[in-house]
Amino acid sequence: MNTFIKKAHWLLMLTAFALIAVTGCEDNPADPGDDNEQELITSVTLNLTELDAAGNPTATTVSVNFKDPDGTGGVAPTIGSLTLKAGKNYKGTIALLDETKNPAESITAEVKAEAEAHQFFYTAKDGAVGRLAVTITDKDANNRPVGLEYTVAISAGANATGKLNVVLSHYDPASKKDGVTRSDESDIDIDFTVNIAN
Amino acid sequence: MSQVKFIFGVCCIMLAVLIGGAAAEQSDRKIRIYGSVFDKENKTPLLGANIFILELKRGNVTDEKGNFSIANLAAGRYTLVCRLLGYEEIRRAVVIAEMNIKQDFYLKANPIELGAVKVDAEKDQQNLTEASQSLEILTQAELQKHRGQTLGETLKEIPGVTVLQTGPAIAKPVIRGLHSQRILVLNAGVSQEGQQWGGEHAPEIDPFSPARIEVLKGAAGVQYGSGAIGGVIRIEPRALRALPGFGGELSLNAFSNNLQGAGSLLLEGGSAKLPGLGWRVQGSLRRAGDAKTPDYHVLNSGFDERDWSVATGYNTDRRGIELYYSHFGTKLGIFRGSHIGNVTDLLRAIEREQPSSISGFSYDINAPKQNIAHNLLSLKTRAELGNLGRLEMQYGWQKNHRQEFDAHAPFSSQPPAFPTFDLVLTTYTADVTFQHQPVKNFFGKVGVSGMRQGNVLETSRSLLIPNFRAYSGGVFAIESWVTGPWTLDFGGRYDYRWFKTFRRLDEKVVEQIHDYSNVTGVVGLIYQFAPQWSIGANLGSAWRPPSLNELYSDGVHHGTAQFESGDLNLRRERSFNIDLTLRQSSERSRAEISVYNNRMRGFIFLFPDPEPTLTVRGAFPTFRYQQAEARLRGFDGAVEYQLSDLLQLGAAVAVVRGDNLDTNEPLFQMPADRLRLSTHWHLPDWGRLANTFIELNGALVKRQTRFPQNADYAEPPPGYSLLDINFGTEFKFGGQPLRFNLSVQNVTNKTYRDYLSRFRYFTDDPGRNVVMRLQIPFGS
Repeated sequence: MNTFIKKAHWLLMLTAFALIAVTGCEDNPADPGDDNEQELITSVTLNLTELDAAGNPTATTVSVNFKDPDGTGGVAPTIGSLTLKAGKNYKGTIALLDETKNPAESITAEVKAEAEAHQFFYTAKDGAVGRLAVTITDKDANNRPVGLEYTVAISAGANATGKLNVVLSHYDPASKKDGVTRSDESDIDIDFTVNIAN
Repeated sequence: MSQVKFIFGVCCIMLAVLIGGAAAEQSDRKIRIYGSVFDKENKTPLLGANIFILELKRGNVTDEKGNFSIANLAAGRYTLVCRLLGYEEIRRAVVIAEMNIKQDFYLKANPIELGAVKVDAEKDQQNLTEASQSLEILTQAELQKHRGQTLGETLKEIPGVTVLQTGPAIAKPVIRGLHSQRILVLNAGVSQEGQQWGGEHAPEIDPFSPARIEVLKGAAGVQYGSGAIGGVIRIEPRALRALPGFGGELSLNAFSNNLQGAGSLLLEGGSAKLPGLGWRVQGSLRRAGDAKTPDYHVLNSGFDERDWSVATGYNTDRRGIELYYSHFGTKLGIFRGSHIGNVTDLLRAIEREQPSSISGFSYDINAPKQNIAHNLLSLKTRAELGNLGRLEMQYGWQKNHRQEFDAHAPFSSQPPAFPTFDLVLTTYTADVTFQHQPVKNFFGKVGVSGMRQGNVLETSRSLLIPNFRAYSGGVFAIESWVTGPWTLDFGGRYDYRWFKTFRRLDEKVVEQIHDYSNVTGVVGLIYQFAPQWSIGANLGSAWRPPSLNELYSDGVHHGTAQFESGDLNLRRERSFNIDLTLRQSSERSRAEISVYNNRMRGFIFLFPDPEPTLTVRGAFPTFRYQQAEARLRGFDGAVEYQLSDLLQLGAAVAVVRGDNLDTNEPLFQMPADRLRLSTHWHLPDWGRLANTFIELNGALVKRQTRFPQNADYAEPPPGYSLLDINFGTEFKFGGQPLRFNLSVQNVTNKTYRDYLSRFRYFTDDPGRNVVMRLQIPFGS
């Protein structure tokens, strides 16, 4: 028995050491795979159409862009600025794209499909406070605001420069309650520079 | 190519070890240990007590005068075990150098025989000369008080050990301010290789499995290799049964706070036909729902853990072989409110007194969540090579599978279909140690170890760490020289680590190689200046290569709302640790107090960059991994004093000061000063109840006032004090011995937040918790 154990003992250990040195790991780190399919928003565009005195759309449109083609980190994003006329009203939409996909994927459609779990917040900041007001015009199935469609009212007055802050709040299904409270999860949070001109 | 070199290197080192071992001189074996064993109460000699030397697995039995003698011993450090049915076991460490020594034992009668379960007698005989470094041991009796809790929670008992907590299920041990890659966890002798990048990654250890835990505080690089910068946690499962027969233990726990139920069943046996052949099977379950703070439930903080292990082995005087397999598996929920969007969201969450998402109690585990599995296989052999010494070899295989799920699929209210991270880390390790027979007054060992590791991202929707393959190898020698009251330890080690990472950048696979090597050393001195006193000084060093997340991180860390950026050019981190430890041990009292100064060269940490990272989700503060000169110093220790046979008082204190010496700023996330006071009443036996005790423990934690500016969103929370009560007793029910334990944690239901709780921004720590524990040892 003892000699058997003795032999088995050495044999087992030698086998174990041979294993560690010779066998490949059963997995293969050398192939990092290609399923880095993180969904991103790389482009946010506000499209505004000027309204006439009767509230009908005119041919004048303005738009502003946020672009971060490589996503978070890496090259810093480019953020455009917006020039709006004092005393005018605008009708607006927002478009979200994932341009890392080919063709670019519309995230707007996903937000629309999950409207009960999302809401945009448009807030005037700095010099735009008191001059720029956004009213959300679209509603989700629970009759709460969404913000894919909205109107912008610019009050008359001197030229000014400020910011329009756009936030997309993501809610757990039950927590979008009053259309006023933001969630603790912002999918978007961008400041666009706004110039108010006469 | 490098693989071939690696194997060649390992072979050369093994050969050198064998030749070196063979050259070791033969020493004379003339020394004898002798003495007598008495009953502690009436001082009568005891017949038939078993005295044996643990390391040599040989011994003798006392005669009718209580006398015993073990002859023909070589000089060495041994553990003497004195055992007799109906009495508490005594373990005592002895160093024999030149002369015969006398050892008397006074055994305390144990009214109930609890099978293989030992009463806490080991601590009484704490070894004054075991380590020049600060060392704490949690014995079976102490571990039993914490059964059902996480490993981190259990270790909090030790002065100088705190936990980095991420909800109730994730508790990471912090030794003297250091954690994660700076702490080495040895599970059944194998260095635990889990996914340690991240504060929310706890060690994958079944809290029911350890029979003994040793915590070595401070750098211990020589024996344990790179990584042991801050300390080593050695977890030993129950020893395999050597005697023929069958037995086991059933352990059941219930926790009121999160309605946690936990249980563990252990069965073990020893063969009568082939003495020395033993086996053990163990399985445990822990299931918990949402934890409760004094005011609300913490949404989605439950867990479901299922672990099991099997072991078998054959041990004789001359050789031994043991095979061990363990599986750890857990599913755990991450507090829903900790999943936030950006800094504005985080600041809003901090301002709120209570989390915005609160609901009733539930056992449900929803996203965000983690699924973790850790498998370990170990094969260990031991051969006594006569006059040469002892050769031990251990082979280990580990597979760690970690899946982390975000709160929901992107832009959707549905739970995610795929994990955000899905990583599989496979590790092979091999260790060979040769412990030579003492030569004159020198005791020591040499060893060689090798490791091979591969990490594969099954799916990754966010790049935290790349795929990699790593090899490392090390060789060490450590010697002790013992003469009279003096012990001198010294050792050295060389380590090499090579790894290659694989990333996909612009549709192409990019490979990158990193390699690091270094030497470490240790010198220690112990002086037993009085029979009950010793002082130890230890000068140790350890290093570690930068970890993958420190090199490659490039993204937003959820929950902390910071953009973390790795640096491919980080160099190794090295520590130089000085530790002075004063120990006292007598029949009535016990003390261990250490002061230390741990100087870190190239300390890797997250440094705030003034330029925020702009993203579509807003601006995130940028943190870059950088290196600086750092220093951690402080003191910790514990004192126990037995006022009378019935009352014992204790106090433990821990103070750590961490500083970045380059910027003259305190380090982030250092544990606050803490003091623990304890009283232990041993109640007289009453009716059927024996070994009954009541403990009243208070913990006082100061507010952390030392923290770096501009690196955190909220000020450290205020200090707090907690009160625990613990009651335990043993009785027989129909001839079956039982051990019962009732404890109340946070008796006053205090609302508090600990500085090291990663959820302190969002939620309070748990409130009152009533815990019941029942242990049923059975068998022969």
